[in-house]
Amino acid sequence: MTTSGDTEIAERVNRIENVPAVPAILLPLLNMLRKSEGEVDVNEVVRLVSYDKAIAVQCLRVAGSALFGLARSPESVSAAVLSLGLKRVENILLATCMGEILPPNMWVLDPVGFWRHSLGCAMVCRKFSEKIGVVDPDKAYLGGLLHDIGFLANCLAFTDEFAPAVQRACDEQIPLHQAERITMGFTHCETGRALAKKWCLSDDMVQVIAHHHAPEMSETAHSLVALVNLGDLLCRMRGLGYGYYERLRADLIFDPAWSILLQEHRKLEGVDLARFTFEIDGAVAEIYELVSAVFAPAPARG
Amino acid sequence: MITGAPIAGSSLAPIKASATFDPIFRQIRDLVYKASGIFQLDEKLYLLADGCGRRMKQLAVCTTRGYWDLLNTPSSHDAELRQLLNEITIGETCLFRSQPQLDALRKVILPEITTEKAKQISKRLRIWSAGCSTGEESYTLAMNMLEESDRLLKGWTVEILATDLNDRSVETAKAGIYGDYALRNTSDYYKRKYFSIIDEKKLQARPEVKKLITFSRLNLQDDSKMLFMKGIDLIFCCNVLIYFDRPSKSKVINHYFTSLNFGGYFFLGTSESLLKLNDQFHLVHFPGTIAYWKPSLKSSKL
Repeated sequence: MTTSGDTEIAERVNRIENVPAVPAILLPLLNMLRKSEGEVDVNEVVRLVSYDKAIAVQCLRVAGSALFGLARSPESVSAAVLSLGLKRVENILLATCMGEILPPNMWVLDPVGFWRHSLGCAMVCRKFSEKIGVVDPDKAYLGGLLHDIGFLANCLAFTDEFAPAVQRACDEQIPLHQAERITMGFTHCETGRALAKKWCLSDDMVQVIAHHHAPEMSETAHSLVALVNLGDLLCRMRGLGYGYYERLRADLIFDPAWSILLQEHRKLEGVDLARFTFEIDGAVAEIYELVSAVFAPAPARG
Repeated sequence: MITGAPIAGSSLAPIKASATFDPIFRQIRDLVYKASGIFQLDEKLYLLADGCGRRMKQLAVCTTRGYWDLLNTPSSHDAELRQLLNEITIGETCLFRSQPQLDALRKVILPEITTEKAKQISKRLRIWSAGCSTGEESYTLAMNMLEESDRLLKGWTVEILATDLNDRSVETAKAGIYGDYALRNTSDYYKRKYFSIIDEKKLQARPEVKKLITFSRLNLQDDSKMLFMKGIDLIFCCNVLIYFDRPSKSKVINHYFTSLNFGGYFFLGTSESLLKLNDQFHLVHFPGTIAYWKPSLKSSKL
């Protein structure tokens, strides 16, 4: 994409009138994620969740779903927080908030598949960073969660161009970014970068969003971008892709992303990648149920 | 009552059935993995727990701690581990056991290998089902190759070499007669097209399927015989090496590397890894499955 193309993308993204409404509690939540485990204040979590009634109700509903196996549904947000543990509450909150960003009629992609992939990638990136001590695990989580927001920009600002790209990816069983490049001439990496700037996300996140399919092109945060690239690939390989078969073959250890990480983190050499892959499988079922619970129709009131 | 204090160790709370698991099962899972390369997912830990339970009953061991000690006693370690592996892999054999492996084979690997070998005069594809047991995998491979005979494999000769140590298994395999349990994953399409009805409970593979396969007895540890296995494009060896100790396993894997053509692939069982016993093979990912690849000559620059 040329510089003039980049400018055009930025202009179209900036013209989006109904900016994906970032729920008010999302940014404070993301900030909270950056704190170390011991510093998180439970009262703060409860206050944030209770702030948005719709989200609080949704959280309670998800917390009470079969997934979490609680003896009975939590009756209050604080009970839910205590029963589930903070990390899981964060996942529920993020899934719930993010699920509200686009109204149902705006989606070109399947929203369930999208959030499944995003949350799955967040989880895999955190696990991976913990294993090899690469980047801050919470930053890795956030990178995994947000890396594909370009698809949201596509749904809002490039609906007509994006739909045939999705169709082509499914028909030819090729990666979405390749189909975008062929049919649109640009990808969610460029539109995502424009949206990330509009949302004033940090520079590191902008790098992840813009370069996760070509980490060698990243200007800064090389390790983080490389880690998200691998997390994204692993998710697509282990049932957390976009819901269609991709004719993919990945030799991760000979991937540019792996070389980038290896330069700075020799610990990577000792990782048993096969075992790590199997460990991811163990968490896939949980992601499926979490996202399905978030998107399940709300039970009838009465 | 919620206080402002941080939650101690806000890690994931145990969920679902895994909550009931004794932590020793995770220790046994790790021990089994280190010895055999078989990894039991958290959601499948109950299979390991069941297997341990059956062994404990037979041995009259009352506690999981007692069984753990037995597994770690040098004099009983090898024999007991073998018994436990028998318990946890029991009943796994059936036709179409791993659809992700078959998808990778037909959608990604065959297009690659046939393109790569297209310039050769002899269009021959050689597959080795090593440790074929009673033939389920061999017939599955044969049917899938026949499905491609008018497309990717038009004009190709396919040979499937199926070997096992056990004479009786080889004889059963040659007969190609299977009941409902072995055929539980086989669709009606394949049953109708490639099997004849023997009686109301049994089907037999048709001659055109059998024609592709040569069954024979082979001891994978017999070095002189192993040297004859040459020019192979694909090796399938599922849940066989798990019973070997590390030196024997390493030797067999080296034989496989020599047997394979450059650019050939080696598949293990679904949750089985090479435990990093060989650094010449590349671990490659396909959707839902992994395989080990002998780099092609072109890629030796890597």
